[in-house]
Amino acid sequence: MDWKRTREPDDAWHMTDDLHVEHGKGDPFAAAIRATRMSMIITDPRRPDNPIVFANEAFLRLTGYERHEVLGKNCRFLQGPKTDKSAVEHIRTAIADNADVSVDILNYRKDGSTFWNALYISPVSNHKGEVQFFFASQLDVSDRKLSEHRMTADKDRFERAVKERTAELEAALEAQTTLLHEVDHRVKNNLQMISSLIIMQRRTIKDEATRHSLTTMLERIEALSTVHRRLYQSKDVSRFDVSDFAKDLVTDLLTASGRSGIEPKLELDPIVISAEKATPVALMVNELVTNALKHAFKEGPDGTTAGRIGIKMSQPDGHFKIEVSDDGVGMAEANGDASFGMRLIKSLARQLHADIEWHDAGPGTKVVISMPNEQQQKRTLS
Amino acid sequence: MTEPLKVLIVEDEALLAMELESLVEEAGHSVVGWATSSAEARSMVESTDADIAFVDIHLTDGPTGVDVAHYIGEKKRSMVVFMTANPKRIPDHFAGAIGVIAKPYTMNGLTSALRYLQEGMRRPPPVSTRPAGFTLSPAFEAVWAPAA
Repeated sequence: MDWKRTREPDDAWHMTDDLHVEHGKGDPFAAAIRATRMSMIITDPRRPDNPIVFANEAFLRLTGYERHEVLGKNCRFLQGPKTDKSAVEHIRTAIADNADVSVDILNYRKDGSTFWNALYISPVSNHKGEVQFFFASQLDVSDRKLSEHRMTADKDRFERAVKERTAELEAALEAQTTLLHEVDHRVKNNLQMISSLIIMQRRTIKDEATRHSLTTMLERIEALSTVHRRLYQSKDVSRFDVSDFAKDLVTDLLTASGRSGIEPKLELDPIVISAEKATPVALMVNELVTNALKHAFKEGPDGTTAGRIGIKMSQPDGHFKIEVSDDGVGMAEANGDASFGMRLIKSLARQLHADIEWHDAGPGTKVVISMPNEQQQKRTLS
Repeated sequence: MTEPLKVLIVEDEALLAMELESLVEEAGHSVVGWATSSAEARSMVESTDADIAFVDIHLTDGPTGVDVAHYIGEKKRSMVVFMTANPKRIPDHFAGAIGVIAKPYTMNGLTSALRYLQEGMRRPPPVSTRPAGFTLSPAFEAVWAPAA
C-alpha cells in the first residue's frame, strides 16, 4: 500500500462521471470503498434503466458475479421468485422520489442460492441538488433473518401448543360436566325407581304393620331424593342449603292427606352446609319430623289430628343448630320403630359430631341438635 | 267436585310410567295413554283427548321431550307438564308448558302436584300450596302465582 507516494489528479476523489475508468486509485476514500468488507455499488439514474456503474469487491464476493456481468445492468437481476414484491415496490418508489430507503430483501446469487440483504440506498446530489448517483450498500443478514424466523416459528409453535392444550382441557372439562350430568340424571332416575318399587310393593300388602314399615322406608328414601333434587338444582354442587330442604320436607310430609290440622312453624335461617353432610343431616331431620308427626299427635274425637310442629334452624357462633318441637303427647309414647329411628338419629349424630338433647317441653317434646359447621361462606360473602 | 283430569304419560321408563299411572288413578284421575317415544307421543296426541300430558325430556328416541311439548302446544288440545331429572334441559320459554315436576319427586309431592294442576286447569288460579319440586314456567307463574 504505497498510495501516499502515488500522484493523482486533484479531482480524482470525485470518482469522475465515468466510473468505468479506474480513476481515483490513489484516493483514500475511493480505496476504502473498493476494499471495505461492506458490499457497495453505485448506480447512475441519468442513464437508461439506472444501471450499476460501480461495484466493489465485497459486492462481487457477496453475489458471486464477475464485475463485467454486473456493470451496466439494473440491480433487479438480484431478485428471484421468492423475493417479496412489496419490498421491491418500496425500493422502486423511493428511487422514483429520490429518497433514502432501507429494506430487508431476499436476493439471489449467481449460483441461485439466496441471502437476506439489509439494503440501504441513498441518492447523491450535486451542488445544484440534481441527483447524480444512487449509493447502495448491502449487508448479508441471513443469520439474523434465520433467527428471526426461528423465533417466529418457536412462538407459533408455542402458541399452537398452548391452544391445543387449552382445547384439550376445555374438552376434558366439557366431558366431565357431561359425565356429572349423566351420573346425576341416573342417580335421580334410580331414586325415583326405588321409590316407585316400594310404593308398588306396598299396594299389594294387606298387613298394616308391614305397610307401615314400607311407608317409613319410603319416607327415608324420599328424604334422600329431596336432597338430590335440591343438591343439583344449585350451581354449586358442593354446597347444600338445609333450610330450603327443610321447607320442602315439611311441605311434603304435611300435604299428605289428613295432616291439614297440623300447623308448621318454621324459623329457618339460610344455612349452607357442605354436600357430604347433606345426606346425614337430611335423614336426621326427616326422622325427627316424621317421628313427631306419627307419634306426637293423637287423633281427636272428630278423626282429625291437630297440633303444632316447629322447626328452627340457626347458626349461633359457628354452630349449626336444629330444633324440632311439637306440642303432642311427649316422649313416653315411643314404640319399636321409633327406637330404630332413635338409633338412626344417634348414629348420624356421631357421624356429624353433633350433640343431641331431648327436652320434655310439656306439652310435647323438643329435640335440639347442635353440630360444628365450618361452611359459613353464605353468611360472610353475601 | 271438580272434574278429574285425563292424563297422557310420555315416559320411557316402564317402571316410572306404571307407578305414575297408579298414582294418577289413586288421585281420582284417568290415564288415557302411555307413550315411550316422540313418534308414539305424537300419534297418541292425535288419538286421545288428554287434558294434560306429563312429558319426560329423555325418551327412547333421545332428548325429544321438548319437541313433543312444542307439538302438543301447536295442537292446543292439551297442556304439558315436564317431568324430568334434568330440568336444566328445558328451554327458558318452557315450550309452552305449565311447568316442571323435578325428578325424583315424592309420592306426596306428586299427589299435591296433581291437585294443584287440577285446580289450575279447572278453576284457575290454583288455591292449594305449590308443592315442593314443582316449578311453574314464567308465563304460568305470571297468571297462576302473581307476586303479591
